[in-house]
Amino acid sequence: MKKITKRALSGLALAGAASLVLAGCAAAPDASQSAVEQLDYLACGVSDEGSWNDKSFNQSVYEGLTKSRDELGVQIQDAESTTPDDFAPNLQAMIDANCDLTIAVGFNLVDAVNKAAEANPEVNFVTVDGWSNGATNLKPIGYSMNQSSYLAGYLAAAQSASKVVGTYGGMQIPAVTDFMTGFYYGAQAWGADNGTTVKVVGWNPTNETGDFIGDFTPNSGTSKAIAAAQIQAGADVIFPVGGDQFGAVSEAITEAGIDGRMIGVDKDIAATSPEYSKWVLTSAEKRMTNAVYDIIKAIAVDKQAFTGDAYIGTLENGGTALSAITNYTGKQSQADVEAKLEELKAGIIAGDINPLG
Amino acid sequence: MTTDKQASTWSTAAKEIVSGGAFRAFLSVVLGFVVGAIFMVFSSEAFLQALTYFTARPTDALSAGWTAIADGYSALFRGSIYNYKADDIVAALRPITETLRFAGPLIAAGLGVALGFRVGLFNIGASGQILFGALAATFVSTRVSLPWGVHLVVAAVVAIAAAAAYGALVGFLKARTGAHEVIVTIMLNYVAAGLLTFAFRQDYLLLEANGGGTPKSDPPAVTAQLPTLFGDAYTLHAGFLISLVGVVIYWWLMERSTIGFRFRMVGHNLDAARTAGINVNRTFVYAMAASGAFVGIAAVNQALGATAGLTPDLDGSIGFDAITVALLGSSTGPGVLLAGLLFGAFKAGAPAMQVIGLSPEVTGVIQGFIVLFIAAPPLVRAIFRLPAPQKTTVISDWWAGLRQKGAKK
Repeated sequence: MKKITKRALSGLALAGAASLVLAGCAAAPDASQSAVEQLDYLACGVSDEGSWNDKSFNQSVYEGLTKSRDELGVQIQDAESTTPDDFAPNLQAMIDANCDLTIAVGFNLVDAVNKAAEANPEVNFVTVDGWSNGATNLKPIGYSMNQSSYLAGYLAAAQSASKVVGTYGGMQIPAVTDFMTGFYYGAQAWGADNGTTVKVVGWNPTNETGDFIGDFTPNSGTSKAIAAAQIQAGADVIFPVGGDQFGAVSEAITEAGIDGRMIGVDKDIAATSPEYSKWVLTSAEKRMTNAVYDIIKAIAVDKQAFTGDAYIGTLENGGTALSAITNYTGKQSQADVEAKLEELKAGIIAGDINPLG
Repeated sequence: MTTDKQASTWSTAAKEIVSGGAFRAFLSVVLGFVVGAIFMVFSSEAFLQALTYFTARPTDALSAGWTAIADGYSALFRGSIYNYKADDIVAALRPITETLRFAGPLIAAGLGVALGFRVGLFNIGASGQILFGALAATFVSTRVSLPWGVHLVVAAVVAIAAAAAYGALVGFLKARTGAHEVIVTIMLNYVAAGLLTFAFRQDYLLLEANGGGTPKSDPPAVTAQLPTLFGDAYTLHAGFLISLVGVVIYWWLMERSTIGFRFRMVGHNLDAARTAGINVNRTFVYAMAASGAFVGIAAVNQALGATAGLTPDLDGSIGFDAITVALLGSSTGPGVLLAGLLFGAFKAGAPAMQVIGLSPEVTGVIQGFIVLFIAAPPLVRAIFRLPAPQKTTVISDWWAGLRQKGAKK
């Protein structure tokens, strides 16, 4: 028994060694020049507990960092947080590593990054989804989501057969109602263009009342109940603004047995969550990858001075945009609607159209 | 008869695991670092790349492997003890203060779990006890206003008392109903996490003023915050000192006091203790309460050492790290102190290792292997029914010889 084991083991070892030797037969590479000129600029990122591959904002930021490394030639370093205890030490590690710019991702890091910015005035920081308590070396990244939501509302009204569209939010806070207000006026604009009345259920920007889940729990029962009630009220396109509510909305659509659509938020839902793609009309995206890239490029390549002014993602700078349109079955042809959306986008960028009223 | 014998084999193994010697602990740490080095080498891209042309230029792979280890462990050193790359002395000394800050709650919670081990109880509920203690502490620190000094003391005492009560509940359920403490403590972890999240979500309970949608508390009032030990440059706070006091109390309690003697007796042999007239059930309740009280010091560290608002995951991984700390520390006061410092250093050093591109899991792998090496010999013996090795070894002979020489003098 013992002998067999020994022989088996030595056989295994031999096989292992052989594969090592075989694998190791390639020629040694020569030192080669990389394509992009390397810059003496160190951009760093600290994730929240979601980690870099969360398919959401952490990942978008990390892609922004790698894009900057590959295209601009800046150096990058990163650290992931696994508990809230890691936030401050991770930021400190970036300061100790002499990072020129440190990006703190997520609302949860807002206290830690404000403290780090105050304690290290010579280092620059960016907070994604956070805010600055006044430090001039801390730049918040924010979004004019009403702009892309306006386009989403216009498209929703064009798609709708019942000319009733719905929207609801996680909580009634400005970051959420910004989407909903843009959506409301976009839908009304389609009605005005086509001489029909479009009804928006779930949000009235004039008296600021609407449907809200009460929290951001993904796909809760409350969320599904709101979606079902809006479908009951005639809505056949729904725009849920509260993170991942797409499971709840798609279930409500399926159970009601209607040919309904939903519009994604933050990322291109049809691509990131293909299981929902058959209901997705489009998504109102926050393109953080672009925001991170633009900020790094402005300082490292264009040598602009760093300021604490917020970076606002707009249609103009590509920080927010609509994803590709899928599953469109409205009466107007998709090409006509897309042409009109381009016109509206130009109008918003030029300032002729106010998505907030 | 055979089942009796089997049962005793397993309980012997369990006893050996939780009371391993200092030398074995040291060797396990060394072996853990060796495994960590292997992990670092094989997670190094430079090494794997050089491996593909190993036969053409083997020195590349060897030097890449060596660089990976050297870089990794020097980053751990820089991040946890002394940052020799820092510009000034204040920054250079920050890592060691961070190690102490992380070690504070680990030591305290480790003591709690260790106390359980000594009584033969597996307290898997340190995480729940921290959360429950922190819940009570946060209530006092954010919703009650008291004068300077008094506020901090009241908040700390309330936290320790709450954690002790939460532990005592386990002992009570075990004594009354015979419920196994492992299952009860795991379930109470969920209960505590749920209660805390609920309280942090409701604005009439603990939700921060002007808060958003996420469950988060206000930061503790300035009067209730643990003072920093070395000014504003370092975040190390007095929580570490409380943990040190905890070590002394633990040592006195377990080695010198009557109740500690009862604890150990119950842990050593339940039936003998009962025959000797010890009320075993009552001892379980007391032991779990004491265990919870030590864990409560960790809650004080986490809840009152913070200067920002708390979130429901404020316990981090301390509750489970405490089990490994207690195992590595052989459930003795000094052992837990050293083990807590080591694991605190791992936590403090992890960011510096991440910065040089090492995955943060390296330190987790090292920790896991350390405990595995400590637990393995008795486990392997129990599994294969091997006899325990002879008690005298080269080292113990040498040690005994030294002692004899010393005695002669």
